[in-house]
Amino acid sequence: MKINGVAIDDTFAEAFTMRVARIVITGRNPKWAREAAVKMTGFATSVIGCKCEAGIERELPAAETPDGRPGVSVLFLTMDKESLPQQLVVRLGQTVLTCPTTACFDGLPSVPDRLAVGKALRVFGDGFQASKVIGGKRYWRIPVMEGEFLIEETFGMQKGVGGGNFLILAEDADHGLEAAEAAVEAMTNQPGVILPFPGGVVRSGSKVGSKRYKSMIATTNDAFSPTLRAVTATQVPEGVNSVLEIVLDGTDGPCIEAAMRLGIRAACRPGVRAISAGNYGGKLGPHHFHLRKILA
Amino acid sequence: MSDTIVLSLRQAPDHALLADCIAPDRFAALTAKEIASLGVFHGGRAARLGDFFKVTGERSSNVRLEGDLGRVQGIGTGTTGGDMLIDGSSGRDLGVAMAGGRIEVRGSTGDNVGGARPGATKGMTGGEIVIRGSAGDDAGVRMRRGLLVILGNGGRGTGRAMIAGTIVLFGKTGSGAGRFLKRGTIVALEAMERPATYRYACTYRPPHVAVLLRYLRARSGVPVSDRHITGRYERYSGDLAELGKGEILQWAGE
Repeated sequence: MKINGVAIDDTFAEAFTMRVARIVITGRNPKWAREAAVKMTGFATSVIGCKCEAGIERELPAAETPDGRPGVSVLFLTMDKESLPQQLVVRLGQTVLTCPTTACFDGLPSVPDRLAVGKALRVFGDGFQASKVIGGKRYWRIPVMEGEFLIEETFGMQKGVGGGNFLILAEDADHGLEAAEAAVEAMTNQPGVILPFPGGVVRSGSKVGSKRYKSMIATTNDAFSPTLRAVTATQVPEGVNSVLEIVLDGTDGPCIEAAMRLGIRAACRPGVRAISAGNYGGKLGPHHFHLRKILA
Repeated sequence: MSDTIVLSLRQAPDHALLADCIAPDRFAALTAKEIASLGVFHGGRAARLGDFFKVTGERSSNVRLEGDLGRVQGIGTGTTGGDMLIDGSSGRDLGVAMAGGRIEVRGSTGDNVGGARPGATKGMTGGEIVIRGSAGDDAGVRMRRGLLVILGNGGRGTGRAMIAGTIVLFGKTGSGAGRFLKRGTIVALEAMERPATYRYACTYRPPHVAVLLRYLRARSGVPVSDRHITGRYERYSGDLAELGKGEILQWAGE
């Protein structure tokens, strides 16, 4: 299979079940909503080192937010049920509560599994906090020096998907980066999907474990590292000198598939030899995104 | 089962008609005949609801009342759920001791809306009451939770001795509003007379008011203007003669 002359490998991306929450952050203007969202999603690229993965899903117009102000929707994922509320309380408390003019709302209101995040953060109010029930939802008003921080008492948690991916195998680093940027642009603002890595792109894809260091849970993906072509069981084809990975997390498989479809098509451009994907032989993750099936 | 139960007033009461049996959650399990046979008091004498109302529909928690109900008292007493629309005005004690559900009144109401039963320590403990006209005296007295919205004017003692909850006042209000309030919020979109035992805190944009007013606009079609949603409010803490954890939020402009 080829798209614009770019070969699509007959392989699949292997992804994992994670737990996801959607956080809606609003602010006086888009700048302040985004400031909080950027801080909240900082250092949240991979559960390997950050214990969570997070990213901006999309910017929200004022008409789509509960308080009628501009907002940003963030997806926040962890590997298990227990760590999601822990990570959220810490992150929201340090990055959104502290950010001028922001308020924080649940973006998964119909999900039955609830996390008492606002309820935990309310105690910052030191007894001066107050709650309001509006439309059946409880909100906490926490007095702060600027005025008041408003946060919903609970946030929905559901199963999500982490680790959707595809690899861009390019003739050189410049063409690889151009293709990756085009893919990211095509996938930006797709509902239910985030790209948690810097600019949406990973240059250091990893394999599980280490060939040499027992303490390492992940090390460089030597099979796709062009500089190691001569000394490893390489998967880098002839003529490929740079490989970049796009990692996608999302609320469900269909969202990931839809975004991958857009991203891969955008990445198929001059200077790219092939599109591949990372997997572990299908033994670790229950979600398999077959590239050719997605693009058919 | 019907979509809506309609109670049409066919005989205007000569005296006060105590009809505290009218509540949408109670009607949800009753046939039209059973609803019509519920007991009321007319001028202190026992009668049946069907003596005054024509009942159409059955087994529904959506209820609509038609006619001039200015003499009908206690509508929605103790309601715990469902939705009730009064297509006109209502007498006193509407939604007394209400715990859930929603009541909307297209006209005005008498005294003690959402208030407490005689001798009770708590008024309404949940649910929503939206009055498109004006309310009589003592609306929301000893209210513990819930939302009371008055698009017209409030009477004397609105929100008196509130324990918690929220009252939104679009119009003016009589004296004594918010007196002895422990917690809770009175959002006043017009200038209101405050008890001397309230103290000014600051002028700011309370974020929950925007959420609340937008909710009212979307849920009940309340004509909230943008300047009230995005505007600044003066916060007065009180009643300092009581617990002092409550507030009057007085709209102060854009």
